[in-house]
Amino acid sequence: MAAYIARRLSATLVVMAIVGVIVFLLLHAAPGSPAAIIAGDNATPAQIALINHELGLDRPLVVQFGIWAWRVVRGQFGTSIFSGVPVMDLVEQRLPATVSLSLVTIAFAATIAVIAGVFAAWRAGGLLDQVLMGIAALGFSVPVFVVGYLLIYLFAITLHWLPVQGYVPLSRGLGSWLAHLVLPGTALGLAYLALIARITRASMLEVLSEDYIRTARAKGASPLSQLFGHALRNAGVPIATVIGIGIALLISGVVLTETVFNIPGIGRLTVDAITNRDYPIIQGVMVIFSGVYVLINLMVDLSYTLIDPRIRR
Amino acid sequence: MPTSRRAVLATALAGTLALPAIRSPRAAGPVTLRAVMQGDLRSFDPVWTTANISAYYGAMVYDTLFGVDDQYKPQPQMVDQWSLSDDKKIYTFHLRDGLAWQDNTPVTAADCVASIRRWAVRNSGGQAIMARAADLSAKDDRTIVLRMKEPFGLVLTALATCTTPICFIMPKKDAETDPFQQVSGRIGSGPFTFNQGQTQPGSRYVFDKWDKYVPRKDKASGLAGGKVVYLDQVIWENIADQQTAAAALNAGEIDFYELPPLDLLPQIQSNPDIKLQVMNPTGYVGEARMNCLHPPFDKVKARLAMLYLIDQKAILNATFGDPKYYHPSPSIFGYGTPMSNDANTAWFKQAPDPAKAKQLFQESGYKGEKVIVLQATDFAFMNNSAQLIAGWLQGIGVNAELAAMNWGEVITRRASMNPDDQGGWDIFVTYGGGFDFSNPITLIALAANGKKGWFGWPEDAEYEALRTQWAEAATEVEQKSIAEKMQARAWDFGLMAMLGSWTQPAAMRKTVDGFLTNPDVVPFWNVTRT
Repeated sequence: MAAYIARRLSATLVVMAIVGVIVFLLLHAAPGSPAAIIAGDNATPAQIALINHELGLDRPLVVQFGIWAWRVVRGQFGTSIFSGVPVMDLVEQRLPATVSLSLVTIAFAATIAVIAGVFAAWRAGGLLDQVLMGIAALGFSVPVFVVGYLLIYLFAITLHWLPVQGYVPLSRGLGSWLAHLVLPGTALGLAYLALIARITRASMLEVLSEDYIRTARAKGASPLSQLFGHALRNAGVPIATVIGIGIALLISGVVLTETVFNIPGIGRLTVDAITNRDYPIIQGVMVIFSGVYVLINLMVDLSYTLIDPRIRR
Repeated sequence: MPTSRRAVLATALAGTLALPAIRSPRAAGPVTLRAVMQGDLRSFDPVWTTANISAYYGAMVYDTLFGVDDQYKPQPQMVDQWSLSDDKKIYTFHLRDGLAWQDNTPVTAADCVASIRRWAVRNSGGQAIMARAADLSAKDDRTIVLRMKEPFGLVLTALATCTTPICFIMPKKDAETDPFQQVSGRIGSGPFTFNQGQTQPGSRYVFDKWDKYVPRKDKASGLAGGKVVYLDQVIWENIADQQTAAAALNAGEIDFYELPPLDLLPQIQSNPDIKLQVMNPTGYVGEARMNCLHPPFDKVKARLAMLYLIDQKAILNATFGDPKYYHPSPSIFGYGTPMSNDANTAWFKQAPDPAKAKQLFQESGYKGEKVIVLQATDFAFMNNSAQLIAGWLQGIGVNAELAAMNWGEVITRRASMNPDDQGGWDIFVTYGGGFDFSNPITLIALAANGKKGWFGWPEDAEYEALRTQWAEAATEVEQKSIAEKMQARAWDFGLMAMLGSWTQPAAMRKTVDGFLTNPDVVPFWNVTRT
């Protein structure tokens, strides 16, 4: 197991290196220049060229890449061209908000989706199944910003129950932290809820037709015991996989949600950096998150052994 | 103690009932004003960048030697007494009492000299001063002397400018930073201190009242007069989504929203607790720049054709909707600015006149060359205007083609002097602060000095001679007279095409009062929140 984990971790470094090269090349091939943005609308081409020179952006691409790569190898991702703040500091500042949003989203989506999927499978083809899967389809097809604005209008503007926007760190109280994450977590979670619920239903349907479930039923196990004690655990591997994929997809999914609910997370940091052509931030975040992505996949793989002991053998 | 389902439900219900209290945006204590400004504060150096939001930051943390009042006249600010020698060549500025940096060291004339020198590299008004200056020095700790080689009437106007970059005074060690590198210091002598501890770059920026700031005794006006601070703290929340910002204002989570989109104003105004105020009476001016280096706009007649072709009202209506907030205007100096005039604007009364535009294109020798219109899709005004212009051109038989891209790409491509087939362009749309258009020296878009000038590179010696005369004029009356001649000439050779002017009101809770109107900067002194 240890050798397997070590092998996967070393693969992470390779993935990060490849992502680093691709991101660097794509960014520099794309039109747009931070110098022109810095110089402002009233600048002359000569002034823009001077700023390009100061930023080192007029050097050959190979030289620029070499300088950046050498820094990254030493754990330095550079500083923001605009704010002058180190990229790692910015990531550290933004990470708690994104992690909080992701946790609430996945907790909300996975809890409800698994329960809904189990009951839908239990009553497959019936009214409950159709209603639950209809809601799931709706959650999957309505864009997050539409759901977001509707939730804001209902719960923040009309009912005054929850805040419109913003993020409060957990250190300032569980209630306040949660209050700021309920609406964005719900808006973002609906799509994942739909995805997980449908996979759970499909996986459960397969398991519920197995002999051991029939045996459990014959032995007088209650429906809840049959569903959650016997069937769900055996249907768990595909569900864990889709939850894992969901967590990985959240990295991109949080961008819109963070914008709509004004959450200062990694998504907004990245989008703002792309708008401004703030190369060090974009490159740094992409490389870091390629590593996170691979690690999440590794954790999902490892979780299989907990769900299904047969895999350990 | 065992946990029952009933207990869990009771706890959850209690939590839900507690949510309204959690949501409450206000607590008793220091007076804090939460504002959503026009954009993210990306740079903390208001001299290094021309971004308005950085100038806002500068106005909080730094002070200026002079500031413009609400009549756009320069008034002393950090300066107490000043004098001009009889030959109008030597300016002497004496700093007022009580000026101190936020690290409690005194502001000196040496700080001011270094700051002016750095600013002058980045500001065209400053460049105009230094090009004519024989010497700039500190006579003693509180006296600055500026010796000019020749009289130059725009010295105070430039030092007081509210056009970015503004001449903010920084500590000498910061002001000695290369003008093309950002300062690292955050210490100023202005009415607010920057609270780095509570600031989260990209999310919120926090400013505290600086108790030791000594305001002038005179009444606050524009960027001049007494900067009396009534707020304990100002927080700029960077809410990128306009709908969310409007909802936050509606719910009372923020107090001030600088630039709500005009299409959201009816929704915002439906809340009786919210009021609107135009912060910048001179608003913004739209323009279409034509590339004078290549066909077809290397010909004057093709450029003049654009004046007749463009329907300013349609352009403005496409983006701003409500005529209350926009004004078609033919003046190169914008709408309602001190230099606005109607010299040589017969075309404006006739436009839109596609037939005349078509005739002028034909007379220019247009041979069906492609006309590439850069379309910045991420700015509504630029996006809409580019589409309309391309459509009108196609309507009169011009081979116009839209090149859709984001603004970041436009500002890179517009720098290309190459022809279209080598990455060039023919038309791009932009806009600027209305007040900026009243000064043809500081606004490089009003120059016609060819490749040394701004994008589009129009060139006209007669106009340039007038521009120089304007800079040297002794009085505003004289400047106005020259401005009329400049405009008359500009519409003879087609300096650019005007797209009209507009204002955009800020929205704020009615508990907020005292905002001063001013072009280009939103001051937070004089503001109260009850």
